[in-house]
Amino acid sequence: MRRLTALLLASTAVAMAAPAQAEPLRIGIIESLSGSQTSTGRLYSAAVQYGVDIINAAGGFNGEPIEVIEYDNAGGSTGAADEFRQAVADGIHIVFQGASSAVAGQITEDVRRHNIRNPGDEVMYINLGAEAMSLTGDQCHFYHFRYATTAPMRVNALVNAMAAAGELGTRVFSINQNYSWGQDMQTAIEDAAAAGGYEVVEAVLHDVNSIQDFAPYVARINAADPDTVITGNWSNDLLLLMRAASEAGLDVRFGTTFLDQPGNIANAGDTAIGHYLANNYVPDAGPAEFNDAYRDAVGHYPIFVEPPTIFAVGALAEALEQVDFGGGDIDVSAIALALEAVVYESPVGPITVRAEDHQTIRPVVVSHVVRGAAYPVDDTDLGFEVVGVVSGEDAIYPVQDSCEMERPD
Amino acid sequence: MRTPLLIAAVLVLLAGVPPFLDLGLQNALVNVLIASLFALAFNLLVGQAGLLSFGHAAYFGVGAFATLHLMRVVEDGFGFPTPLLPLAGAACGLVVGAIAGFFATMRSGVYFALVTLAIAELFHALAPRWQGLFGGEAGLSSMRMPWQGVTFGSTLEVYYLALAWVVVSICLLWAYTRTPFGRLTLALRDNEQRVRFLGYDAHATKVIVFAISAMFSGIAGSLQAMSNEVANYSLFSSHVSAQVVLHAFVGGSTVFFGPLLGAAVFTLFAYLISDLTRSWLLYQGLIFVLVMLYAPTGIGGVVQYHARHWQRLDWSRLAGPYALGSLGGVLVAAAAVFLTETLSVLFDEPYAVARRDAGGAFPPFAAFGTGWDPLSPLTWLLPLALFGVGLYVLTRARRAIGEEWEAIRSAPTAAAAAAAAASRAGS
Repeated sequence: MRRLTALLLASTAVAMAAPAQAEPLRIGIIESLSGSQTSTGRLYSAAVQYGVDIINAAGGFNGEPIEVIEYDNAGGSTGAADEFRQAVADGIHIVFQGASSAVAGQITEDVRRHNIRNPGDEVMYINLGAEAMSLTGDQCHFYHFRYATTAPMRVNALVNAMAAAGELGTRVFSINQNYSWGQDMQTAIEDAAAAGGYEVVEAVLHDVNSIQDFAPYVARINAADPDTVITGNWSNDLLLLMRAASEAGLDVRFGTTFLDQPGNIANAGDTAIGHYLANNYVPDAGPAEFNDAYRDAVGHYPIFVEPPTIFAVGALAEALEQVDFGGGDIDVSAIALALEAVVYESPVGPITVRAEDHQTIRPVVVSHVVRGAAYPVDDTDLGFEVVGVVSGEDAIYPVQDSCEMERPD
Repeated sequence: MRTPLLIAAVLVLLAGVPPFLDLGLQNALVNVLIASLFALAFNLLVGQAGLLSFGHAAYFGVGAFATLHLMRVVEDGFGFPTPLLPLAGAACGLVVGAIAGFFATMRSGVYFALVTLAIAELFHALAPRWQGLFGGEAGLSSMRMPWQGVTFGSTLEVYYLALAWVVVSICLLWAYTRTPFGRLTLALRDNEQRVRFLGYDAHATKVIVFAISAMFSGIAGSLQAMSNEVANYSLFSSHVSAQVVLHAFVGGSTVFFGPLLGAAVFTLFAYLISDLTRSWLLYQGLIFVLVMLYAPTGIGGVVQYHARHWQRLDWSRLAGPYALGSLGGVLVAAAAVFLTETLSVLFDEPYAVARRDAGGAFPPFAAFGTGWDPLSPLTWLLPLALFGVGLYVLTRARRAIGEEWEAIRSAPTAAAAAAAAASRAGS
């Protein structure tokens, strides 16, 4: 009813004197909540709500419960720009978003411009899953924090853990989608070759979500004779690739990054068994209390993008404990400075913010698909079993030269 | 006499009211302006020339990217006045439109639509790859620079800039329809064969119309780029192309101002409803289907129909059936909304959690500010009753309205009646 109320108020031009009370911290979630990309957006939304409920149960912040408002960007960056302006009009202090790098590019620029134009009235952006390198590269700024992994972190961890398990081999085939994410993955796979002790036998980029038959690519993989195929593919591009490989009787391990997207395992079935995944968290990696608490509140175990979201809100909660506005106006810069210093103990290890580019240094969990897993997914008997947890120090990569961050005084 | 007054009143409202509106609504109005101009530019093709383009996002996007490139140069110190930035979009839209139009207009009908669709897809596929020109997935970004003491930092300043450009563009588009060439465009829609026999080059004419339509689409794209200060490949998506088709047809493509109405109504609908319910796209689709089924000339067509018969409308007789019809419509809509929202609550995960906590039973759920029991027949009789009564009322009202209009259409006009009376008196 927010906008209709605002409309009524505006049309009748009623200026109501606000009763004296503390300013509540307002969090806005700008995600795709209608249309075809809804499922991931709703996972983000559910996890943020879960984390904020915990803070509010413990007394909220600044003497008030934290308010969470959802904004539907309808899947596009244009919608996100509109919703960001609406969020500013609603007095939002912190924006959460994660589902798309294109949307993230829009929001991070909007936040940067807003903060230049409105000093003293800043807005902060916590990025929950947009992994484009440019967000912490030439687009980096002080009020953007990425609480998610990036391509090099996932690849470094994958290579590390697969080599330790003796599953990596010495010949790696790189196949990725031809856009910024796939290109980042390919660069990361090539960069990690020396440390991982392998040779990239071939690197392929293909069209995004438009290929129906991966047989020609599988033939190329077959001809290159790799031990492992590493891919950043997601959705159909991942499923069809794995299925084509299995139909051709290819005997390779896949190292993947988005195999845990809901529905993937149900779709892939036995084809997925034995393949690897590097991500932020799988339930098998953490204590049962953490998984059960989430399931009791939301209805399922924390999956896919939910765990990193819970960690991000948890880190924010610790930052909020460090600042005290005594019930007065909220200073977002102070919260951002506090968040920079937080060491958040996640169930798989500490998460810290790198001051130079605001990328989090965080553990990466490497797992593989097994039958009869402790935490089966998608109503199958398959699930992810942890192979290793690679610490943040081992997974992180150097700060990109393109990031020039101006800090507040 | 009435129309100029009406237009003046609308302009005064558009210029005077926004400073008193909240920031979100100001931004929504900027979007209304942009969507209106885009829909009118699109309608130049479909409404006037009879060419249905399914890929107008291409020219909208080209305009946006052109403007953004110019904005980046201005940001680096190139002295170009900020208010004139959309000229870049207009120029690029015109050039790209002329090239694309040359190929697309070689065919008409379905083939034309498919070629335009393919051209838009070409841009959509190309843009994320071409890092230098389109900025990859994240797109290009810039900042509006101050000019002559105006900062262009606030939404309100952007609004007035957009208003000026949209009003000027609409005037130009209107003037175009009054020129001999504009008349030729109409002839092209009605009978291309005859235009050719009259000695005109039909292909060249169509290319020019296409390019002009693309130019104004480019201006709309420019305004979008200036408003968002970011452009990325998603501007080329088929969603943008589909949206403008939707606006034009719901508004009424046969009436000049129809698409403007459609764009305004749908943009405000999206703004107001999208945070009330996650099912707002479903409602938007339903409205589109209903308009196409029961008012194929669109909102503009209905308005024009009333305007044409204005002198003969007896509102004391029409008001009753119209009020009845609105009531029926509201009841049916309430039933549809109730059913949609109830089902979306019942099939959502929080309700599954509530069921688990209740040991598998069906606990009551909250919707529309009160609690409902999913097993109670009352819960389901309510929408059924709303729907039944609404449909009955609607059918009755429709019949009454039909009879009234029959009377209006068959009644002699005032002038004809006077003439008849005069001839009677003469004899």
